[in-house]
Amino acid sequence: MKKVGIPQGLFYYYYYPLWEAFFRFLGLVVVRSSPTNKKIVDDGVTLAVDEACFPIKVYYGHVNELKGKGVDYIFLPRLVSIEPKSYICPKFMGLPDMIRAGIKDLPEVIDITVDLSRGDKGWQKELARLGKILNVNYRQIKKAYNYALEEYFSYRMIARQGYTRDEAIKVWQGEEISLPLDTPLHIGVLGHGYSLYDDFISMSVIKKLRGMGVKVYLSEHLPTEGIEKEASTLPKRVFWTLGRKMVGSALYMDKSPDIDGIIYVACFGCGPDSLIGEVIERKVKKPFMLLTLDEHTGEGGIITRLEAFCDMLARRKKRDEGYLPCYG
Amino acid sequence: MICYLGVDIGSVSSNFVLVDQRGKVREKIYLRTQGNPVKAIREGYMKIKEGIEGKIDIRGVGTTGSGRHLASILLGADIVKNEITAHAVAASYLYPDVRTIIEIGGQDSKIIIMENGIVTDFAMNTVCAAGTGSFLDQQAARLNIPIEDFGRKAVASSQPVRIAGRCGVFAESDMIHKQQMGYPVEDILMGLCEALVRNYMNNVAKGKRIAEPVVFQGGVAANIGLRKAFEKFLGCRVIVPEHYNVMGAIGAAILAKEYVEGYGRRSLFKGDDFILTGDFVSQSFTCNGCANLCEVVCIKRDDTPLAYWGDRCLRWESSLGRGSRENLKVV
Repeated sequence: MKKVGIPQGLFYYYYYPLWEAFFRFLGLVVVRSSPTNKKIVDDGVTLAVDEACFPIKVYYGHVNELKGKGVDYIFLPRLVSIEPKSYICPKFMGLPDMIRAGIKDLPEVIDITVDLSRGDKGWQKELARLGKILNVNYRQIKKAYNYALEEYFSYRMIARQGYTRDEAIKVWQGEEISLPLDTPLHIGVLGHGYSLYDDFISMSVIKKLRGMGVKVYLSEHLPTEGIEKEASTLPKRVFWTLGRKMVGSALYMDKSPDIDGIIYVACFGCGPDSLIGEVIERKVKKPFMLLTLDEHTGEGGIITRLEAFCDMLARRKKRDEGYLPCYG
Repeated sequence: MICYLGVDIGSVSSNFVLVDQRGKVREKIYLRTQGNPVKAIREGYMKIKEGIEGKIDIRGVGTTGSGRHLASILLGADIVKNEITAHAVAASYLYPDVRTIIEIGGQDSKIIIMENGIVTDFAMNTVCAAGTGSFLDQQAARLNIPIEDFGRKAVASSQPVRIAGRCGVFAESDMIHKQQMGYPVEDILMGLCEALVRNYMNNVAKGKRIAEPVVFQGGVAANIGLRKAFEKFLGCRVIVPEHYNVMGAIGAAILAKEYVEGYGRRSLFKGDDFILTGDFVSQSFTCNGCANLCEVVCIKRDDTPLAYWGDRCLRWESSLGRGSRENLKVV
């Protein structure tokens, strides 16, 4: 049986169940790289171009690890657009080429182009091309794709219940993870999924908040229509898919009475983040905090900010309920 | 005398205060951390005890600052709080109607917006430490001016020069340029103060409504040049409290006092024997348990490990058999 390697980074968090089910249906064995660790990060930072954002650098490290795992193919999709008139960050458009230029002697790369910006036509062609690479006829490919979509939707439904995407993938694979209990403080956390749900990149922001007694709300838990409705209130449409979702989620959270505050996790080198974070900060009326992440591993700064933010919300809440001890 | 100890272990300074039962500051110590927080904690503790005549009875300990967890292990803290909460508590204790707190320390600068004694908004510098104490220290050393004289010299200026405020590196090259052109050093220093204020307003305080009273605290508040520059920029009076450089520690002490009194608890304070005798060492090692290769730090007293941190999976931390970070819980 042939093996296909999938790097555990970037859109892995959004589409792994779709990809895994697809290849599995066609009789391939899927091999993942390990969850991000220090070695992957070090390798990635060395191999990648300096201007890339941190998650892209880390992705290089994942590909590099897979190279040594004896896979027949490496799956590096070229994500241009996943919906009409909206785009993924341009770095993703060139990603397979950047990786090929940076890492030598790769196994065969499956670099199908996903561009749904002008409808479905090009996508059908790409699926056919994928069939040629894998030596499978088009009917089988279509069947596998339809099966994978079903699996993907079931994964999305799991995430909706209150899991992070990372946890939802595990639950989808059969692991048992109990949902976090409800606690008095509710915070909405936003950011690109590939930074937020990667425990190394985000320094486990979500786990840290939960450890401080916070119930975390994510954009995956909100109704899609609600997010889109809020996003459409901006004077100009945001043409980045993820950026639009984040603005919409932030505005939706701003209106939900059970969310006390919003944290936006941005990557230092991310172009869209620098704009979207600013838009959100200006629009949102609830307590808001922007956390900027990069390669540093010193967690002190993150912990201080998270603690102070929680303290502030907890004390405001207690004041509003008419009870305030100084010690929080 | 019954009192409460507040400790703020920062990147540059380590501060200690003892407040009495009425919340009054009885003694304070301001030390340079000099890269060795363990030594600074013991030295500070020894010194603050010497400063008070007669027997003292420490009923509660609060720690804050980036070294707050380390201090809590060595001293036995009842409450471990982040700097923002500690500074806000101290400022609103001394000035109950305070609306804006400007706090600039060794590596951090913060703005805290208060309403009726509650933090309603705050911000900290992001990835840039331009305009914080360590940058000023460095520039003063370059110009061969003791940092204590910096502010006094700066306010002697009649015509501050314009220095780029966006970034510490740009500011430095601008300063060197102006200095080589022959501008008097006072004008350059005051120009730097104004640049730092602009930087603070653009990066830290951006978009926030600054209402009076404004309190300026943290080690950098000693610099009268910066205070004047803030007053000029904001067009209002900026208050520098008497104990401006130990406000974090005061906040920690007050939090400890209210916590211990509020819950009627016995303090976890470890006492003289534990703190002053025995050898505290910190060791670091790379854990090879998995591919994360965490840099783990271990604090030992003689041969007994007191705390571990730095391990992502908490394998070392939990080996001590207790939730050593239980104080992190906020609700």
